[in-house]
Amino acid sequence: MVKQEEQLLADRPDNTAFTQQRLPAWQPMLSAGIVIPGFVLIGLAFIGIGVALFVTSQSIQVLEMDYTGRETTSGCFKCTDPDTKNCVCQLDFDIDTLIKGPVFFYYGLSNYFQNYRRYGVSKDDTQLSGDLDNFINPSDTCSPYDTDNDKPIVPCGSIANSMFNDTFVLHQLINGTKKLVPFDGKGIAWWTDYNVKYRNPGVKPLKDAFKDTVKPPFWPKPAYELDPSDPNNNGFINQDFLVWMRRAALSDFRKLYRRIARGDYTQGLPAGNYSLEIHYNYPVLSFNGRKKVVFSNVSWMGGQNEFLGIAYLVVGSMCIIMSIVMLIVYAKFKFPEED
Amino acid sequence: MTRLHHLAASAPQRPQTELANDAGLTQTDNVLRSHKYSPLTFLPLTLFEQFQRVANLYFLLMVVLQCVPAISAIPWYITIIPLTIVLSVRGVKDLANDMARRRSDAKINSRPCDVLISQRFNKGQWRDLHVGDVVRIHKDQVIPADLLLLCSSEPHSLCYVETADIDGETNLKFRQALSATHDELTSQPSEETLAAFNGVVFCEEPNNRLYVFRGQLHWRGESSLLENEHVLLRGTVLRNTEFAYGVAIYTGADTKIMRNCGKLRVKRTRTERVFNRVVIGIVLCVLLTALFLAIGAGVFSSWVMSHTEDASLLVVDDNPAYTGFLIFWSYIILLSPAMPIALYISFEVIHSVHSLFIGWDMDMYWQPADRPAQARNTSLNEELGQVGYLLSDKTGTLTQNHLLFRQCCIAGEIYGDPSVRAEDTEPMDLSWNPFSRGGLFMSAPGLLEKLRGQQCPLSRQFLRALCLCHTVTAEWKEEAPVYQAASPDEEALVGAARELGWVFLSRTRDFIVVSELGVTRQYQLLALLDFTSKRRRMSVLVREPEGGLKLYCKGADIVILERLQKDSPYQEEIERALELFAQACLRTLCIAVRSVPEESWELWSKTQAQAAAMATVDRDTLLEKLHDQMERELQLIGVTAIEDRLQEGVPETIALLQQAGLKVWVLTGDKKETAVNIGYSCKLLDAETRLVEWQELRQILQSPDPEVIFFKARQTELWAVDKQSAGAKTAVVLTGPELAEFEQRPEWGASFMSLAEQCQSVLCCRVTPGQKADIITLVRKHTRAVTMSIGDGANDVNMIKTAHVGVGLEGVEGGQAVQNADFALSQFRFLQRLLLVHGRWSYRRISFFLLYFLFKTCGFALVHIWFGFFNGFSAQSLYENWFIAFYTVFYTAAPIMCVAFFEQDVNADSSLRWPELYKSGQRQELSSPLVLCSSLLYAVYTSLVLFFIPLGVYYDTAYDYQTMAVTVAMAATFTATVEIALLTRYWTKFNVAAVCVSVVLFFISTRISQSTFLFQKSPVDYFFIGVSDKAFIDPLVWLAALLATWTAVLPSVTALALNVILTVHDKHKVHSVSRQPVELRSKLKRGTSLRRSSYALSQGAGPGRLITSGTCIHSTVPTLDEKVASSNYPTDSRGQIHIKTNNHVTNGT
Repeated sequence: MVKQEEQLLADRPDNTAFTQQRLPAWQPMLSAGIVIPGFVLIGLAFIGIGVALFVTSQSIQVLEMDYTGRETTSGCFKCTDPDTKNCVCQLDFDIDTLIKGPVFFYYGLSNYFQNYRRYGVSKDDTQLSGDLDNFINPSDTCSPYDTDNDKPIVPCGSIANSMFNDTFVLHQLINGTKKLVPFDGKGIAWWTDYNVKYRNPGVKPLKDAFKDTVKPPFWPKPAYELDPSDPNNNGFINQDFLVWMRRAALSDFRKLYRRIARGDYTQGLPAGNYSLEIHYNYPVLSFNGRKKVVFSNVSWMGGQNEFLGIAYLVVGSMCIIMSIVMLIVYAKFKFPEED
Repeated sequence: MTRLHHLAASAPQRPQTELANDAGLTQTDNVLRSHKYSPLTFLPLTLFEQFQRVANLYFLLMVVLQCVPAISAIPWYITIIPLTIVLSVRGVKDLANDMARRRSDAKINSRPCDVLISQRFNKGQWRDLHVGDVVRIHKDQVIPADLLLLCSSEPHSLCYVETADIDGETNLKFRQALSATHDELTSQPSEETLAAFNGVVFCEEPNNRLYVFRGQLHWRGESSLLENEHVLLRGTVLRNTEFAYGVAIYTGADTKIMRNCGKLRVKRTRTERVFNRVVIGIVLCVLLTALFLAIGAGVFSSWVMSHTEDASLLVVDDNPAYTGFLIFWSYIILLSPAMPIALYISFEVIHSVHSLFIGWDMDMYWQPADRPAQARNTSLNEELGQVGYLLSDKTGTLTQNHLLFRQCCIAGEIYGDPSVRAEDTEPMDLSWNPFSRGGLFMSAPGLLEKLRGQQCPLSRQFLRALCLCHTVTAEWKEEAPVYQAASPDEEALVGAARELGWVFLSRTRDFIVVSELGVTRQYQLLALLDFTSKRRRMSVLVREPEGGLKLYCKGADIVILERLQKDSPYQEEIERALELFAQACLRTLCIAVRSVPEESWELWSKTQAQAAAMATVDRDTLLEKLHDQMERELQLIGVTAIEDRLQEGVPETIALLQQAGLKVWVLTGDKKETAVNIGYSCKLLDAETRLVEWQELRQILQSPDPEVIFFKARQTELWAVDKQSAGAKTAVVLTGPELAEFEQRPEWGASFMSLAEQCQSVLCCRVTPGQKADIITLVRKHTRAVTMSIGDGANDVNMIKTAHVGVGLEGVEGGQAVQNADFALSQFRFLQRLLLVHGRWSYRRISFFLLYFLFKTCGFALVHIWFGFFNGFSAQSLYENWFIAFYTVFYTAAPIMCVAFFEQDVNADSSLRWPELYKSGQRQELSSPLVLCSSLLYAVYTSLVLFFIPLGVYYDTAYDYQTMAVTVAMAATFTATVEIALLTRYWTKFNVAAVCVSVVLFFISTRISQSTFLFQKSPVDYFFIGVSDKAFIDPLVWLAALLATWTAVLPSVTALALNVILTVHDKHKVHSVSRQPVELRSKLKRGTSLRRSSYALSQGAGPGRLITSGTCIHSTVPTLDEKVASSNYPTDSRGQIHIKTNNHVTNGT
């Protein structure tokens, strides 16, 4: 009997919550009582974060120095002539108070478009991961720095070719004597870059892998001689190379050069006179670029960043203002003038 | 004229057809082909069709561009994956649809029919039929092709067809074979004579004129003219006729009904059109932006060249113009995600799901027929939420075309109670009546008592009038008469008389046999003055068995009341009854009687015979005058009140829809009176409504300033009738011929529509299917509103196709209307739910979907423009490639799809309780170009925030490009998620799951695509290795993403908050308004005089001619002799002879 009925009503729709669109659901009922306090709370939270960020940012000590040498008075002016080779200049500076360690030493470039697309794609990830096939046949993406006189360039491409090659030596001047500030160049690159993304070919010695290849035209020495003293910092896994290869987001950027956390400088850079010896190789004036060095310590939020704190404060205040406006509007509606 | 040559003479096989001239005749078989793919053509055709869509073509172009290394900003596979998905989903859908069409075609094509082959009728299928084939049609069979009727099993080769599927009229039509073929082929009705038929038919080229056929038959040296009367059209149903034989003259696509179907028009929704325009706008903007960026790139590269003496560190080409050119294409690729590729396919999926919901709705399921609602066209759902004009058919749509005798007033006394619903009427004890078949929904024991007690001669006369004065024919089935009436009113009246004991048994040309309370009496029929729409009455003049002439007359009240004798008794009471009946929305007819002296009859009949013999134009006027003479000095006996049963829930539905701001118009082929009457009974018109008819309308339209005149006309009239009534209610009533004038005066259209917009309703009567469509075209042309038409018959097909949305009501038979409709419903009242619930929801959901989709795709893609200013316009992407590929598909698709499936701001019941909510759809509040553009602007704002906040954070820091990319991606995903959370007001478990899963998916798949494993598989494709490891634990990244997200959504959060605060008041107001359910019964004020006397007849003259000529009367009454013989009364032997032998004798005329 039931079966028969079922058969008769074969096309009867299922009476389920889903088909009848009666799914149980939470329907948030917003009211002024939720919205306005909500805005106040969020505003306060943002202001709180903003204050924390701002205070933290202010507590970070930063020493920033331009050494482009554009001005004639600058110590590095003599090095700006492109014809000068192996030019060394000095940058002397004083530190009034201790810069708490660990101190990070960055070099910074401006008006330098590492984020230019044709520049950014001009590399061969396969080659850089140690694939010997791509040593002989670099990828087309490396063009125009893929071959030089029909010999493959390794590492090929624009990024590698344009590697930053200024070097720095820092001395503290104590009573007229120069005391070398030891740099720590280990682990300044990303772990994945050092351990996964960039690999030297398995050939020993490393030089053999580069047989029949040429160095990038801009480089003074081939890749296998980047740090002959340490095989774990040579070739494609050279920390400076890795740092350079990680493209900057914007045209003004810094890159970590060294950490200062060794010897007497574990606690930071004490107050005093310092002299930075710069091996000036990298031309930037031709494109109105700037070079600088930065000494900075870091906090939980990384380096100094005033923008973020201020932005949080501004947005938080906007929320508070908005909630006040809403309150006024609400009051007008809730208690409309008589009649 | 195309010549059809029919040779059948000696052919041993099936008769062959030869086309003398094949112009216009394209198809000679009878196969219905509505499918378009074959296994071979599917792939090319579907690809061809799909790439006609600009969006698909655009993305194909993108894929091609991405294959060029010099400009490939993002790899080619990022675009081809979604494109392939889109194409294949669409292709599968088309294929499924085509298969379904193929199946339904096959079903129709394989319907059985008997075809004459080799002198024998073989069971064949519709598809086997060819022009020239002789076909045998059985009773109740659908006619497979347009046939020339050769002969039938009935006398005079008459046959009856039901044309409901073609013109919506349910009364039977007569068709009659040529006497030439009838005489020859029925003398020995056998296959041989039919097979020997070798006439030649000349006929018109196939056309779509349903009511006109002209042709000639040449046979045996004679030629006879063929007319519509001789043709059986495909789609009609043979009724009350055992067999009919015909020869196919038009088959398949040439048949009239197929020609009438019109071309299939692809319907597009208004929202889709607006959105298409916006998408084109986006494309243009993208092109323009790309151009500007390309110029920037050229300038930048020339600057770089001028500043870099030695080998450039950057890779730039020598030629800045060439660089610009390449960059232009690169940016087009990079910005292409702003063009939402997944949009159209998501759109279709959402539409399909909404359509499923319509089919699943229990409240639109019609249990008696086991039929759920059906969305046949699954791309119009949101249009259902914007309908401004509902144009409805009447018969079968508003009404059931089922007339019930509900009340009567005899000699001033009213019987029956209209306040009781017909089904609830207490059935009277009619067991004494052997002919009772039920179907009388009137409880009046008092009347029965009077009738059976022989107390009241007037009530007896009343019933006698009912059972004599009509054109019904009786057919005997199972010992009881079954009535065949040209008009359903008559059927109801005669049926009611039968129930009450006055049984109409049979008629011949000259006699009407009735059984009065078991006593068989025979009345000699002297004259039948038939009904015409002008006369609005009909009379019979009979000689009573006792002798004495009586004229029984029934007709519209106005007509009858002016023909009464002076001081007719009960007139006042009856007029009061008329008003009462009118208030109950019943159709009334006045019944009157007159005794005619023998001598005046003789004189009259002589004059009439003379007049009838005249062949001049004056004849009709003369006859008219004569009839008028006879129908005078009447004595009013009573009034009948018939309920034209409305479909269930029609008045409530119409009232609800009107509250929802819809204009409901009625388009019907029926008479004006009937239409107006129905207008009142289904609450389309109120008692206060002033009807503007053509004369007045014409004057208004002709005047230089129609609106002012119209306004004045309305004002003055109202002033006179009802001072208090503030709302001026007006309705326009038009008829088909009047509408035809619009074609000559196209300039009237606009002013008519502006007037009609202020009217409560417009009724169009006596309109042809074509005119129905024209009216819709008129509405579409002059208003911006969405039109919906609803109908049930083949005569509505045209308008169903023409309207933005066509709804077909599945009647008893089902048929053409549903086949061509976008939505199929079983009941008119389901329209409430379809529009106010499903339509409104669909509109909101789809609008939200579109707005959000636009926002999320543009907001995320436009970031590249701003980034361009900081990377030397180099078309550098700010995202990982995989993020671009997955963002629209995985990270943001599911939540908005859930909103598009489940969102409801108010539930179904509330939607129906506050129909005013529907108006927002009509006003396009959520889908206007303005709203879409504001959504675009918001997207631009978002993209600015998404880029510039990370820019501020990362400027001059040691953070690299890839970390920034992940930050922006994170912010973009968060923004899209927060935005959808703000949009969702109805959180089902699916919504919650979708939102959570999407966000989690972002983190998971970002980690996966940046994993060591994938990098080692393909370093080139997964070069973002390790970024998320670092970024996701870096507080600065999170803080930046959080700030960007909150800043990006701040405007919409603020807007939402302000909205909440501002609408608190309004909502309170809306909810506090107490609502009464729509009342069924009209609340007519006293003193309104609104008699509605009417009588439904099909177009054209009544069948009186056939009755008086005797042709339609036949003797399928084998038991009548005994019945008559066993009666108590001596009967007139002449009548009996006629009855027995009328087949052969009474065909004299």
